[in-house]
Formats: sequence, C-alpha cells, structure tokens
Amino acid sequence: METKTEKFPETENFGRKKRDTITKIIFIMEIKNFTITKRDGSKDRFSLDKIMNAIVKAFESVNEPAELGTISKIISHLDIQEDIKVEDIQNQVEEALMREGFYKVAKSFMLYRQAHSEDRETLAKLQFLSEYCDSVNAATGSKYDANANVEHKNIATLIGELPKSNFIRLNRRLLTDRIKKMYGKQMADHYIDMLTHHFIYKNDETSLANYCASITMYPWLIGGTISIGGNSTAPTNLKSFCGGFVNMVFMVSSMLSGACATPEFLMYMNYFIGKEYGRDYYKRVNEQADLSLKKRTLDKVITDYFEQIVYTLNQPTGARNYQAVFWNVAYYDKYYFESIFGDFYFPDGTKPDWEGLSWLQKRFMKWFNQERTKTLLTFPVETMALLTTKDGEPMDAEWGEFTAEMYSEGHSFFTYMSDNADSLSSCCRLRNEITDNGFSYTLGAGGVSTGSKSVLTINLNRCIQYAVNHKMPYLQYLGEVIDLCHKVQLAYNENLKELQSHGMLPLFDAGYINIGRQYLTIGINGLVEAAEFMGLQITPNDDYLHFVQGILGLIEKYNKQYRTKDVMFNCEMIPAENVGVKHAKWDREDGYFVPRDCYNSYFYVVEDDSLTILDKFKLHGAPYIEHLTGGSALHMNLEEHLSKQQYQQLLKVAAKEGCNYFTFNIPNTVCNDCGHIDKRYLKECPHCHSKNIDYMTRIIGYLKRVSNFSQPRQEEAARRFYATA
Amino acid sequence: MKYVNTGIVFQEIPDEVTLAINISNCPCRCPGCHSHYLWEDIGIPLNTDAVDAFVDQFGSDITCIAFMGGDAEPKGVEQLAQYIHEEHAAFKVAWYSGRIRMPAGIDKTDFDYIKLGPFIRHLGPLKTKTTNQRLFRKRPDNTFEDITARFWEK
Repeated sequence: METKTEKFPETENFGRKKRDTITKIIFIMEIKNFTITKRDGSKDRFSLDKIMNAIVKAFESVNEPAELGTISKIISHLDIQEDIKVEDIQNQVEEALMREGFYKVAKSFMLYRQAHSEDRETLAKLQFLSEYCDSVNAATGSKYDANANVEHKNIATLIGELPKSNFIRLNRRLLTDRIKKMYGKQMADHYIDMLTHHFIYKNDETSLANYCASITMYPWLIGGTISIGGNSTAPTNLKSFCGGFVNMVFMVSSMLSGACATPEFLMYMNYFIGKEYGRDYYKRVNEQADLSLKKRTLDKVITDYFEQIVYTLNQPTGARNYQAVFWNVAYYDKYYFESIFGDFYFPDGTKPDWEGLSWLQKRFMKWFNQERTKTLLTFPVETMALLTTKDGEPMDAEWGEFTAEMYSEGHSFFTYMSDNADSLSSCCRLRNEITDNGFSYTLGAGGVSTGSKSVLTINLNRCIQYAVNHKMPYLQYLGEVIDLCHKVQLAYNENLKELQSHGMLPLFDAGYINIGRQYLTIGINGLVEAAEFMGLQITPNDDYLHFVQGILGLIEKYNKQYRTKDVMFNCEMIPAENVGVKHAKWDREDGYFVPRDCYNSYFYVVEDDSLTILDKFKLHGAPYIEHLTGGSALHMNLEEHLSKQQYQQLLKVAAKEGCNYFTFNIPNTVCNDCGHIDKRYLKECPHCHSKNIDYMTRIIGYLKRVSNFSQPRQEEAARRFYATA
Repeated sequence: MKYVNTGIVFQEIPDEVTLAINISNCPCRCPGCHSHYLWEDIGIPLNTDAVDAFVDQFGSDITCIAFMGGDAEPKGVEQLAQYIHEEHAAFKVAWYSGRIRMPAGIDKTDFDYIKLGPFIRHLGPLKTKTTNQRLFRKRPDNTFEDITARFWEK
C-alpha cells in the first residue's frame, strides 16, 4: 500500500494543526484513486472528510469531547477497500465506536443513520408519487405488480401503491423467519438469494392475503355473512339473495389477493327465482311480474337483477386498492351439473332444478354478451364446463351447440372440456381434481371448492440457461430449485396455519374455503424462451414435447413427493401479466438470451404467424398439459369471428387433442370519440368512422381496454398475432 | 400441378374448417393480385400422394379441402376432387378458380363449393358488395346456390 503524505484540504472541524496528525493516519489508506459505491449504485471519490465529520457530529450530539486522538483511533479500525459501499463504511464506524467503548456515541450515530434512511425512504416515495401522477395509466405507474384491472389512476389507487414495498419486506421477513425455523438460516438465505437474482418469483408479495379461491356459498346460504364478520343473515328471497350476494363477494374478495369464483351463483339464483315465481318460471318469463308503472315482465325483473349484480361487481373496490373484484362464474352442461350438484339439497329440502338452471345460464350469457356492446364489462370471467365423449363430441349436444352459438355471436368466455367429470376449472384457469363430489349439510357441494393458497414461480429461462452455462444437467439443477420452492411453500403454509389459528382467516373457518382443498402452487414462466435457448422449434414436434414433459414431469414428481394429507401442490403456467415483462427485462440485463420483451404464458409464441389454429390446439393438447395439474389456458387469438358450425368443429378438435381449457379471443373495437362498441376487430369506427379507436382484448385471463394495460403489455399486445381466419 | 403452401382457413368457405392448398403457375395474372408468388411454376407436386399426406396430417380436424387456383390445369384439379370424394369421403372439396365461368369439360358436381371470377380491383374482393366474384355451394340435389352474400354479413 502506498503511503500518503499529500495535503489534506481544510475542513470545518479540523484546523491546520490537526492536519498533520491526520496525515499520520491516512497513510494506512489509499485515498487518491479510491472510489466508493453510493446507495444508488453510482461511484464517487472517497472522502475521509465526510467520515470524520459524521463521527465528530455523533460525538457532539451526546456532548462527548471529540479528541483528535480518539477520532484517529476510530478511523484506524476502518478497512476501506475499492468500491466499498457507503453502508459498509458506516457499519464499520459503528463497530469501531463500540470497540473503543463509545456506546452512547455509537447509538447516536445509528439513530442518525436511521433518521436519514427514513428520510431517503420518504424521498423515494415522494419521487414515486410524482412519477405515478405523471404516468400514462395506473398499470404503467405501478412499480411492483402492474395490473390492468385498475382503469383510472387517482388518489385511491395511489394510496394502494404506496405501501406495497413495505408489504414486500414484511412478507419476506415472515417467510424467511419461518424457513429459518423449519430448515435453518442457510435455506432462508438461499431463498432470498434465488429471489433477488430472479431465479424464482414470489407472486402477490404485495398482499398479505392468500391467493385465490373458488368458494362454496353454502355457509352464506345457511347463515349469512355473520361468520365472516358481516352482519347480514341468510338470504330469504330473490332480492336479499342478489343484494347479499354482492356484499358477500366483496367481503370474500377483500380477504383474498387474487380471484374469487362463485361456481354456484346461477344455481342459487335459480333457486330463489323458483321460490318466488314457481320452479317452472322460465316458461312464463314474458308475463308481467311487477305492479309498478313500468309493468316489467319476469324476464325484465331477472335481467334487472343481472344488471344490478354485474355492474356493482365491476365497480372499483375500496378495500382492494380500487381494483374491481376478480369475480368468476361457471356454467355447466347437464352432465357436469348432475355430477357436481346431483346430491345437493337446498335448506327447504328441494334439489336444484336443471331445466330452470339451463334456461337461466343461457339467459345470463345472452344478456351479458349484449350488455358488453353497451359497456366494457370485465367481470365475471366465465367458464363453460362441457363433458365430451371419448371421440370428442359434447355429451350434452344442446349445450355443445349453445357454446358454439355464443362464440359465433361474439361472446368471449372460457370453455373447460373433459371426458370425465373428475376435474373442473372455475377460477380463471385454476383446475382442480374433484376428489369429493359429495354433499354435506354444513359445507354444501364438495366439487366446487378449490383454490390456490400461494404461488411461487420458477423462471425457467434463467434457471435452464444458468445450468447450461455452468455445465450442469438442467434437470438436475431444476430439481434443486423445485425442491427449494416446495420447502418455501410449506413454510408459507405454516404461516397461513398460524394466521388461521389466531382467527384471522374466517373464510376457512366458516367453510367458504376448504383449506384441505387449497393448493400450494408452483408457477412456471419462460418455458418457451428456455426451449428456444435449447435450440428447439416451438411447433408440435417430438423434441419440444420431450423438453416440456421433462420439466413439467419433474415438477409433478416433486408435487407428489411433498404431498401429505394436509397439503397438496399443483403446477400452473402463470398468466404473468406483470412478471412476464419483468423476467424478460431482468434476464436481459444480466446477459441471458431473451428472445422477446415479454415471456409467453402459452406453449406457443404469441407473435408467431406460421402456426395454424390446429397447431395451437395441439400445442395445448393433452401431451403438453398433462403435468400442468393447476391448469393453463389456450388463448386462440383470431382476427375475425367464426360461424357456429366452425366453432363446433373447433370444439371437436380441442376435445380430440385434449386441450381442456381455452378461449377464443377476437379484439372488440371501442370508439374513443362516439363510444360505440363493436364485437369485431376493426380499423375504424363503423358508427362515426373515426380512426381514434381502442380495443378490448384479454390481457391475460380477463378482458380489458388495451389502453389500461401497462406500457410493456401494450407493446406485447401490439405484437400478438391474431390469425387471419 | 404444384402447390407452394397450405393454410387452415375459416373465411374462404363459410361454416367449414378448410385446408387451403395454394397452387402455383396461376395463368390469371389479375392486376392487383395479392398472391403474386403463385404466378411462377414453383413448389411441390400436387397429386394423390400429396392429398393422402394431408389427410394423414389433418384427419378429422378439418372438414373441407380447397384448391386455391390451378386454373392452368382444370382437369387435374377435377381429378383430385374426384379422388378425394372417392377415397376420403368425409371431406368436402372446394375450388377457388379465377376464371369467369367453369371451363368446358369439367363437371362442377365434383365440387361442393366453387368460387368463380378473377380479382378486379375496382369491384373488390368477395367481402365487398360490388364484387364480381361469386361463391356457389352445392345443394343435396346437385344444383348450386350463390352464397356470396354470406361474405357481406356483419
């Protein structure tokens, strides 16, 4: 080390006399070309002055004399190296002060640091606040989990954004504390390391609540909302059902971070309509049913209730940072209905009536499709459950045909098809094995209750590239990552159990959600990109299939291995509305191969125009999705609507390929000038001929105006290939 | 007769899921043609073996096989249509011809759908109401109906 004798500049606290003494201690350090790393990562020239000033100030603040010899001694303890971080220098100062016995001074120094770090945090928040106010929309302004389910940015959405970083810190702390207890500090550190280096991603870290659930409304039907902290008693008539339903969904959603599915909604509504107007009400819907001057027909009474419920639930919600609730509903064909509700009894001892429900389901779909030409309504996300024969024909021909008819009329919804009623998708995409179709007088229908407690996602593209670059077999490396994910999820589960034991999770206690039917979910992202890195073609071919099966099969192996009678795991190709963009950005910054700006949420490449519609069904067919026990959804992006006959044929193709969950996605056109909404994908408004138009399409699982998407997602949407059918 | 590529299409033949086979060496030379690449005599031989391979590949995923072009060899197109009807009876057969009328000696009942008419720019494609092109569908009694209006529906 070079000895320093150069002149030290005059400072506020040290006069010329003292300077000579200082030069004595400086010889231990290289000053001239020393650089330090500032908090924002930038480099600066090292300045001994600043350190000395801070130490002197700390002495003065507790009225201790700042003797030059003392200061020198403290500084001589410091081990300053090239590019040292400011925090590390400060840590060393604290230790040095204590080593010399200046505990009061050290405390003052720490408090001073803390006050500054709080100031910096506030400053950062202030900066975020002004950037958020200037951002083009709420999703783009969001720093942590951009979400297009917020239509307008305003004071309410800003209030929701500000504490997000604190939630992330809190959640990480809760989880790592638990991991330490269960598996030791090394595992906890490893988790944080994998998380901060973006090998894995913890979904919904900005919320404390468990993720999503498909609920049974039976406890509400029997006892109202009292058991979950509300004050309403059980619904007794159509009016109290419809009003109470909305409140109940708001309450349930405020205790979930993700979606809330109510697969029994129409079945219960049918029951209450029947109680009021007779079980065969659907035969008399054109009769007058009200004595008001409006002389409404029964059909109008029913659709007015649809309107009340759907419009209310599409409102921004105060308790959810101004997001609407992620409400999902399900429709059934006759066979699914019988399988799921065959043993069901209402409180009055009657059984659900298929004929009435069948009418009501159709009425709701037709009404909702029409209503969407008046207003951009996102919720409910709908799933049609169809049972098919082994050769792909819908068992319930009437509902198979109706499904095709609704698609051809431009309605956008998901279809779940299975040749066995042993599984169901009811919550966006979440698929569950129906293990218990039984009916219980306390819990209602068993088949509808499912959900995911927590999602932990593996960034496959980074993991596989890391393994290959380090000459490791990638499946072996992935195995280690997957194992870590399972341990972390078990730790999460313990925290959830603790919350429950303190009465913090009434949805579970009251039976809306059956904790035994909730999954811990391993998410995947970057699968297609990893395959491209391995040089594979993203088409239906054996090499790609082998790659997919190898990875997903491995995850399933661990899912089974970690399954106990209390915990179940599943694997889901996550929608990645926000993280698909982040992974691409992070991986690119760290020098990985990144073929596009937003990782795919499908087995095909969204911008690829060479794949046929049939290829896409194949790529989401049984061999590919076999191990995706938690589900994936094929989004068949089309430029134009097809005819009913063509959709019928495609339903057959889907069934034959074993593609069990899909939707057709044809962007709807919204005119920014006259407000006209058209079900077609147009370049100009057919009403006022304006070219100032916007589109409504599925960002991921739900329909939104493209202008509500975050900036990077808007760019992804623009690259999407909509097949010229 | 050769073809350049194929596609799964939905708009060309209403209500069908169609395998469209794009045939080269097109003699029509319509000004404003969207498929200039089909003017040259290029591509892969289109014969009964090729048809069998398509049927193997797509099976019951498709409902109709359409010959797009082939006006240089109408007889060849007709023979393939007959072959499909005999050997793979589940599929309907369509022909997109650029000619103004069916060529002499071709039995139109060998096809389930026939599109006639060259592309004339100022009259527009099938989607515009002023189009000169016509799409016909065979009825069960082997007569043909003009279903061009299907392209004009909303």
